[in-house]
Amino acid sequence: MRRIGFSTGALAYSDFRRARAILVRKGIYIVELSALRMSEMRPLIDALDALDMTAFDYVAVHAPSEFPDGEEQRVAECLETVRQKGWSLIVHAEAIRDYALWRSFGDSLCVENADKRKRTGRTARELSRIFQQLPAASFCFDIGHARQVDPTMTEAYLMLRDLGSRLRQVHVSEVSADSRHDVISLGSIFAFRRVAHLIPAHVPLILETPVDEEGIERQVNAAAEALPTSGGQPAVPLRDLAPMPLTW
Amino acid sequence: MCQKLREELVGLDSADVSVVVFGSLARGEFTTGSDIDWTLLIDGSADPEHYNQARRAGEIIAGFARPPGAEGTFGNLAFSHEIIHQIGGQDDTNRNTTRRILLLLESRSIGRREAYDRVVTAVLSRYLQEDRGFRRSGKRPHVPRFLLNDFARYWRTMAVDFAYKQRSRLSKGWAIRNIKLRMSRKLLFASGMLSCFACHQDFAGRWAHVRCDKPTASPECVDCLRELLVHPPLEILAMALLHYSPRLDGAARKILQAYDEFTGMLSDEAQRKHLDELPPDQEEDRIFQRARELSHEFRDGLSELFFDEESGLADLTKAYGVF
Repeated sequence: MRRIGFSTGALAYSDFRRARAILVRKGIYIVELSALRMSEMRPLIDALDALDMTAFDYVAVHAPSEFPDGEEQRVAECLETVRQKGWSLIVHAEAIRDYALWRSFGDSLCVENADKRKRTGRTARELSRIFQQLPAASFCFDIGHARQVDPTMTEAYLMLRDLGSRLRQVHVSEVSADSRHDVISLGSIFAFRRVAHLIPAHVPLILETPVDEEGIERQVNAAAEALPTSGGQPAVPLRDLAPMPLTW
Repeated sequence: MCQKLREELVGLDSADVSVVVFGSLARGEFTTGSDIDWTLLIDGSADPEHYNQARRAGEIIAGFARPPGAEGTFGNLAFSHEIIHQIGGQDDTNRNTTRRILLLLESRSIGRREAYDRVVTAVLSRYLQEDRGFRRSGKRPHVPRFLLNDFARYWRTMAVDFAYKQRSRLSKGWAIRNIKLRMSRKLLFASGMLSCFACHQDFAGRWAHVRCDKPTASPECVDCLRELLVHPPLEILAMALLHYSPRLDGAARKILQAYDEFTGMLSDEAQRKHLDELPPDQEEDRIFQRARELSHEFRDGLSELFFDEESGLADLTKAYGVF
């Protein structure tokens, strides 16, 4: 049975409170609070203490996708709150320039593989160099990025083979040629299934598919369809909601 | 040479576009008289600007060596879609087959290699995933017949094209094309066959952990083959010869000495020019005859390797290379 949740950015851009409320209404208790832009980070961090996340089984925070020159230390200090809460902190591989700043995060730091536009972190080999610098860090496997970098999923297989022991969560979406997240297509479902058996059932899946509230079930079911658990059990994505049939 | 080219071509490539070279430069056998076969390989959205990028790449590369041949196979744009999707069938032209096979057997990306890597992986993935015999081969991988057949088809196409060019070009350049066919083209075929045999024989030491009955077989196999094909053809041949040393040291000597003298001949400007301009009625020419003798030594060495009974290569050659 897969544990499936959403990124707040996919549901409501920077309005994480609204996204949280939607997820609670839908009975989804796995979430990634998104601060992909620098301007979103401080408001999110300042709101964390007052934000009731006790109902959630798993919480992650996505750090800004890039840090302005000279700001990396300030960003790391600001995000220290996430580590103290015991949540996962998702950071793009390419954003990190000074590894020493991030080592103290231990396995809370969750390095994500990159899309093809980036200069590093796109392949298993590039990631291995990053993890050599961050030996305690965990791994956020973005399956959409991996498919964009290599549609045959050979690179995805290599990442899961080499970094499987570090795997903390999986980002799920379709990633377009111009590197935008999109809803899951049938092509993605076929591709993702090739490596589904390498993703343990307990690892949370975070959907990054941009949808409104009505589109949530369809994406959750598509993710469950794409990543069946290795025992052959169908994924049951929601606590209280029966999966909707998939039609294409 | 590659480093200089990389510096000049910087900015023409991107995550979706790679400049790829083939032939002697990719094989590590480039000499002063060599031309540079290249293509701008595109794996992404079509963009009218690609045409200008290719023109610019052509201008830059022309500053380093002679331009590619007149067939139009190289020196222009190539799109991943045709290379990946048109394997076999009416639309798989000579040009497309040549680009695809050379991409696997003797190519090198100059500069950014993301598009190049994606296309090579996708092509290999098609050959292996759609090879039912390979997928069902049990614990130990078999020889990938779909891929081997295409390597063989390419080799035979080259041989037939030699006769075609002899006619269409009124035998101009026949001698150098003949020697290249006997040596560097044959080397490609031999390295392609060996790469396929390596899946079963594991002389390259990559396949020991691969079991075809595991669900991970397909990406594992693609990765193993991709890692092997990164090596130039002569290195792949050397890996096999080394694996079967000392039994096949005699064959190794014949193959490597002949090939070494052949590359020496081509790097000698006077001899290369001589072969390039040799009239068709001069088959008894001394330099051509020496080149021909080298090709016979090369062929005999390859025969010893491929028909070696003890290693099992003879059985594979008969089973997959003949029928």
